Amino acid sequence: MSPSDPDASRFRASPADRRGERDLNDLLIHVARGDQDAFEQLYDRLAGPAYGVIRRVLRDPSQSEEVTQEVLLEVWRTAARFDPAMGGAATWVMTIAHRRAIDRVRSSVAATEREQKTAVVNSLRDEVADEVEASLDRERVRRCLDGLTEVQRESITLAYYGGYSYRQVAELLTVTLGAIKTRIRDGLIRMRDCLGVS
Amino acid sequence: MRLLFRDDLHTLTGVYALDAIEGSAERDRFSRHLNRCQSCSSEVRGLREVATALAFAAATEPPPELRTQVLAAAARTRQLPPEVNHHAVPRRGARVWGWMPWLAGSLATAGLVLALVFGLIQANTSQQLSQARAQNQAIAAVLSAPGARLLAARTTSGGVATVVLAAAKRELVVTMAGLPPLPAGKVYQLWLIGPTKIVSAGLVPPPASSGVTPAVLASGIVTGDKLGLTVEPSPGSAQPTTTPILALPLPL
Repeated sequence: MSPSDPDASRFRASPADRRGERDLNDLLIHVARGDQDAFEQLYDRLAGPAYGVIRRVLRDPSQSEEVTQEVLLEVWRTAARFDPAMGGAATWVMTIAHRRAIDRVRSSVAATEREQKTAVVNSLRDEVADEVEASLDRERVRRCLDGLTEVQRESITLAYYGGYSYRQVAELLTVTLGAIKTRIRDGLIRMRDCLGVS
Repeated sequence: MRLLFRDDLHTLTGVYALDAIEGSAERDRFSRHLNRCQSCSSEVRGLREVATALAFAAATEPPPELRTQVLAAAARTRQLPPEVNHHAVPRRGARVWGWMPWLAGSLATAGLVLALVFGLIQANTSQQLSQARAQNQAIAAVLSAPGARLLAARTTSGGVATVVLAAAKRELVVTMAGLPPLPAGKVYQLWLIGPTKIVSAGLVPPPASSGVTPAVLASGIVTGDKLGLTVEPSPGSAQPTTTPILALPLPL
């Protein structure tokens, strides 16, 4: 599959896309056996989403490329530890990607960035809107995000795309810790039902 | 109070799925909770899929040179073996696994194996207990998988391998009975022998007094694989160095 294939950027966890997800699992099992062709195919399917989410969190393109490379190498190195029982291959790789980006943010102490609270919140709002509207493939996610309350949507996008801890999200939105935890959980559950994730 | 605490812990599923728990103490506490709380861990699984959807919605094409760099780096990077190899090494001082009875020749069901395995687990410390429990769950999952099949075969040097194969999970559990004892410095090693590759499936732990070895879990089976057994110099080899005494086809 070529990197420009529009299918490569489609979210695959819905029941209709289960076939695609199974193929990814199969690819990853082959990667675990040292199959470089399988790794190449996996790259073409997952490098875009991995790079996209890492870049959302880190913003800086060259740091994002560096972390994306680390993540994909980790996928190659640890493919044998992938357990399909714990979730699909796409989710496994995206979890590694997001965690690595978060680790980078938290270790590099983007302290100055944290001070520009309002600016960040506002720019994120715009970014999410722009990015999400950019593609028909993203329509479904946008629609489901639209179905959330504003606080749910903001909490989720700040935590996931912004890379903020829930304490920081609570501070940014001036709500209590307990409220943030439940809003994020309730929002994700609503998204899950809306996306048709089992 | 206690109830409040638990409710509070349960609401962490969302922030955990988004990696938004900053403190490692809180994260670790919740990870441990996940091991015990099945509804929490299945909720986290579902919410992580939502996070994956958010990642796909943000997909951005990386620069083309990244592809070349990543593929080249992978070609010179050594891969880690499956984690099951570690589980297969028996832990000193504790019978983490008791024994599995010799089932070869009898058409025992996977359910019976399951019952016996659960009945005989033993561990001394809470850490060993949680390791045993994790291993137990992994093996139980194979044994209880829909369509799990029981296979048995005699090795060319005597003794019988009993295998429960969960084709859908691409995993198997194997136990050996009546293998001839080996001289010092030699071990029995299991392999997945595929059409293009051979990978280690771990060492066969020493048998209990009954002559039956503890169960070994092997994952990542691909079509065409056979389960192989060889005698190797301790502590095992990267690739087989002797002729297999068992090569059992694994119907997937």
